[in-house]
Amino acid sequence: MKQKLEEILKNGLCEIEKVSDLKSLDEVRVTYLGKAGVLTQILRGMRDVPAEERREIGSLANSVREQIEKKLSEKWANLENEKLLADMEKEKVDITEPSKGVKRGALHPLTRFNNKFMEMCVEMGFTVIQTPEIETDYNNFEALNVPKNHPARDMQDSLYITENILLRTHTSPAQVRAMHMFKPPFKIVCPGRVYRNDDDSSHSPIFNQFEALVIDENVSLKDFMTMVKEMAVRLYGKDVKMRVRPAYFPFTEPSIEIDATCQMCGGKGCSLCKGTGFSEFFGGGIVNPRILEMAGIDSNKYSGFAFGPGIDRSVMVTNKIPNIKYLFRNDLRFLKQMR
Amino acid sequence: MKVSYNWLKDFVDLKGLTPEQIADKLTVSGFEVEEIVYINEHLHDVYVGKIEKIEKHPQADRLVVCSVDVGFKEVQIVTSATNVFEGANVPVSLEGADLCNGVQIKPSNFRGVKSDGMFCSGEELGIDENYFEGASINGILILPKDFVPGTKIEDALLLNDVVFDINVTPNRPDCNSVVGIAREICAMFGKKFKDFDISYKTVGDDVNKYVKVDVETENCPRYSASYIKNIKLTRSPLWLRSRLFSVGIKPINTMVDITNYVLVEQGQPMHAFDYKYLDGHQIVVRQAKKGEKIAVLNGQTYELDKDVMVIADANKPVVIAGVIGGVNSCISDSTTETVFECAVFDLKSVRLTAKKFGLSTDSSARYSKGVNINLPSVALKRALHLVDKLKCGDIVGGIVDFCKTELNQKQVLKISYSKVCKILGFEVSKEEMTKILNGLAIETDIVGDEMTCVVPAIREDIKTVNDIAEEVIRIYGYDFYNNIDGIVFENCSTTMGGFEPRLQFENGLKNILVDEGFYETLNYSLYSASACDKLLLAEDDVRRNVIKVANPISEDLSTVRTVMAHAMLLDVAYNLSVGNKDLRFFEQGKIYLPKKLPLTELPVENDRLSFAVCESGFDFFNLKGVVENLLVGTSLKYKLQRSKEPYLHSGVSADIVAEDGTVVGWFGKIHKTVLKNYDIGQDVYYGELDTDYLSSLPEKEHSTKEVSKFPPVERDIAIVVDEKITNEELMSAIKSASGKIFYDVNLFDVYRSDALGEGKKSMAYKIVFMSEEKTLTGDEINQAVNKILKSLQFRFGAKLREN
Repeated sequence: MKQKLEEILKNGLCEIEKVSDLKSLDEVRVTYLGKAGVLTQILRGMRDVPAEERREIGSLANSVREQIEKKLSEKWANLENEKLLADMEKEKVDITEPSKGVKRGALHPLTRFNNKFMEMCVEMGFTVIQTPEIETDYNNFEALNVPKNHPARDMQDSLYITENILLRTHTSPAQVRAMHMFKPPFKIVCPGRVYRNDDDSSHSPIFNQFEALVIDENVSLKDFMTMVKEMAVRLYGKDVKMRVRPAYFPFTEPSIEIDATCQMCGGKGCSLCKGTGFSEFFGGGIVNPRILEMAGIDSNKYSGFAFGPGIDRSVMVTNKIPNIKYLFRNDLRFLKQMR
Repeated sequence: MKVSYNWLKDFVDLKGLTPEQIADKLTVSGFEVEEIVYINEHLHDVYVGKIEKIEKHPQADRLVVCSVDVGFKEVQIVTSATNVFEGANVPVSLEGADLCNGVQIKPSNFRGVKSDGMFCSGEELGIDENYFEGASINGILILPKDFVPGTKIEDALLLNDVVFDINVTPNRPDCNSVVGIAREICAMFGKKFKDFDISYKTVGDDVNKYVKVDVETENCPRYSASYIKNIKLTRSPLWLRSRLFSVGIKPINTMVDITNYVLVEQGQPMHAFDYKYLDGHQIVVRQAKKGEKIAVLNGQTYELDKDVMVIADANKPVVIAGVIGGVNSCISDSTTETVFECAVFDLKSVRLTAKKFGLSTDSSARYSKGVNINLPSVALKRALHLVDKLKCGDIVGGIVDFCKTELNQKQVLKISYSKVCKILGFEVSKEEMTKILNGLAIETDIVGDEMTCVVPAIREDIKTVNDIAEEVIRIYGYDFYNNIDGIVFENCSTTMGGFEPRLQFENGLKNILVDEGFYETLNYSLYSASACDKLLLAEDDVRRNVIKVANPISEDLSTVRTVMAHAMLLDVAYNLSVGNKDLRFFEQGKIYLPKKLPLTELPVENDRLSFAVCESGFDFFNLKGVVENLLVGTSLKYKLQRSKEPYLHSGVSADIVAEDGTVVGWFGKIHKTVLKNYDIGQDVYYGELDTDYLSSLPEKEHSTKEVSKFPPVERDIAIVVDEKITNEELMSAIKSASGKIFYDVNLFDVYRSDALGEGKKSMAYKIVFMSEEKTLTGDEINQAVNKILKSLQFRFGAKLREN
């Protein structure tokens, strides 16, 4: 009996081992553990075993059954897993086939640049506003200390609608409006379109600028410079170099032009920066006290700085756009490159 | 403004300063040097040579072999030139020379005879007859006998100058002159300005006996004149020609050259008249009369009007004031007496006249920048000094000087020293500051905090403490700021940053559209007036009240836009024309709606979001999905109505109407005729939203309730109804018939067929029921469905569809 059991165990384990599909494995299970199975038969024959051996044989029989069951379930799991692997192999797809669903579009490069810049300004405490594009001659020139005989005030350079209303030639009227909208101290930045009577291969009659203005007590050129430096570092990285030149704007005094490492060539010198390694970053300066006074702000108490560049050129440099006219042509082949 | 290095040396000692050092300093001090031009760039390795001997070439009849003394050695030159002779001085280019016509000199072999270089013509040296006698002949430039062999040609011909092209800012008209720049250089390098000579001898007599000046126009605040007789017109001396040549002015004769010399050196435009052609020996400064004509020096004849200021004699205009002289009275070989003019003309008048005739002369360019009222008398004396120095005529005593306004005086500014430092953000010592300002001829005295600055009359730009601060820092050097390490906004109050709500809202919509596969476009806000016609706007459509640019660049940019669709359709048409397909575009932009025309106040600027799709398989309901996705995040409660937009397909378009009745947008298929107007051959779906309105709505609130613990149950029904019954009517009927257990309903199929009959459609709905109290039984669901069907039948004649 004992010998028989050991033989069953040996054969059973061996047969289980040999089986290679789930169906055959089930057959083996029936052969051994089924109602008419070999082991079942043996256990039924237990009553013929002498009482003194019954205990030992019984325990052996149970152990044999357990071992076979364990082996069966292990094998079952293995075979099932193999089958899954085989099925997955059959379901394999060509992962290089195109994706489905709507493909994301893209924002215009000008918007992207603007967003980046404006978010930076917001972090630095600026409020982003927009002011009208159709402006009064007063806000566009007079209130900004642009003298009456300045060429910009001729019809030839600006787009006028009436004698006193024109398409703004710069975003600087935002300074004037902000001075009336907010009580100092404040910081504002105003992005937007500006218009000039100019249309050739390198100029658009419409282009984009922004204007920033900080009015507070004790604001100096040094504060302006530390802020500009911070902005340049955030935009172009900590290795950016700066260069400051005196400049002239009617609404700031002193006025400066700030150049930063040319982003086209990384400062090595290229056709865009005329070999200097620098390109124009900001123009601005300390707000001319006359402008504060005209807006009803006490220039003895408050001072400020204003700055604002044209952004079209920066956008061209950052995105290596070959021609300024691309910005308004809206060719899908161009826009797709902004994804 | 072109400034000559050699010329500057007349007024400032430049010893030890290279042109590059000067240029760098000028740039960082506010006078950007855009270019440094070396006049001798193509003259190296060219020398004065003396031809010692000329022999025939043994192999070639047309060539001769010359032995030439170039000072430091003898060279052999083979030439085919026929104007050379033994004993002649000629320019000889030797190995290494790189002439301005691109020729590079190497020793060569002409049929067995070695040539060490080449003789040069005037053209090869970049000069012509105006600059040097013989320079324009077809042959070698024969140099004067007294030139010394071995002299560098650039030195012999005074072509050894360096020119700075300087960008002078509009606030510094005084620096559009050699003396102005020289004064600045003095301040920058701490040098002393060497004053110029304005002394001259006259032959006595009185100018007033010969010339009468009348100024009849407001546009001429000052007019000075003098009279010179017994003129001997000759070529100016080489040093004078050289200076004019360096800055790009053609030397002509002494009289004309002197006027140009003074223009460049002093910044004062001048004119010289031939006295005998001034009728009545009279000068009248006046506005032209309509119909008057003048033939000027550029060969053109212009018809004048009252906007043009002229210098006239007793009968006729002889000069367009400040712009260009007439041929009838200009200096010519027959001139024996002349009148010099130094005047101040209104810069705007000169500028507008120059633009009107498309003329830009040295004179008009200079006047357009503004000439100081004090300048004419000084400049006129300087010119007379030159006349005297060059001995080219007899100067009659006295000058005519009409001056309508007072001359500028020195002005005294009393300011605070600490305020200057406060503007700069750091302290510049009193000594340093005084030194800088004195260097700029601003006599400065600082006692305690009180600062007294005496500003010279020519510095009209200095009026306030900020102006003084700028003078200090630009000479002190802005470099200081490059090396500071400050805390950002160290001295400023803290302010909260943020976006104007509309901008933030619009950014959100843009991102939704990008996710929906759209590309952002930007279009000009100016377009052609024909846009309204192309879009079929009715005659009384308010959007036809367009704002017109008074001085448009072109018809295509003449009108400020009142509709967004025009630019969008142009974009679609352009892209299709270049072969782009599957277009999804949007634009966030403004339309400009006048309150009244012509404009008396600023118009309303209305922000709009427009979007268009031109893509096969895209239909109205796809577009509707885009619109819903744009609006779902807003608190807008709206309904759709058939749109009245004239450029949309009347059957396949909808207006989005807010609860208050405002039409906040529309969308649909573009009208067939409109497509034709834009040459578009495919269907285009277009939509537009008023983002000003939408961004003004309160933020959407999300209040939620508990979700049911019991499962939902779905039932599908398909019913046949008349075409005229809308989905919305059926859905709301289903909802109300379902009662409390209604959860959701969706249309999932619309079907039309012959079997259903003309004017009928089958609508299939998936209805979802759910209770918050219990699991619904089959009976309860069946009851509800029956009730729905009955209601639909009763209200719309709907029949359950039999398959």
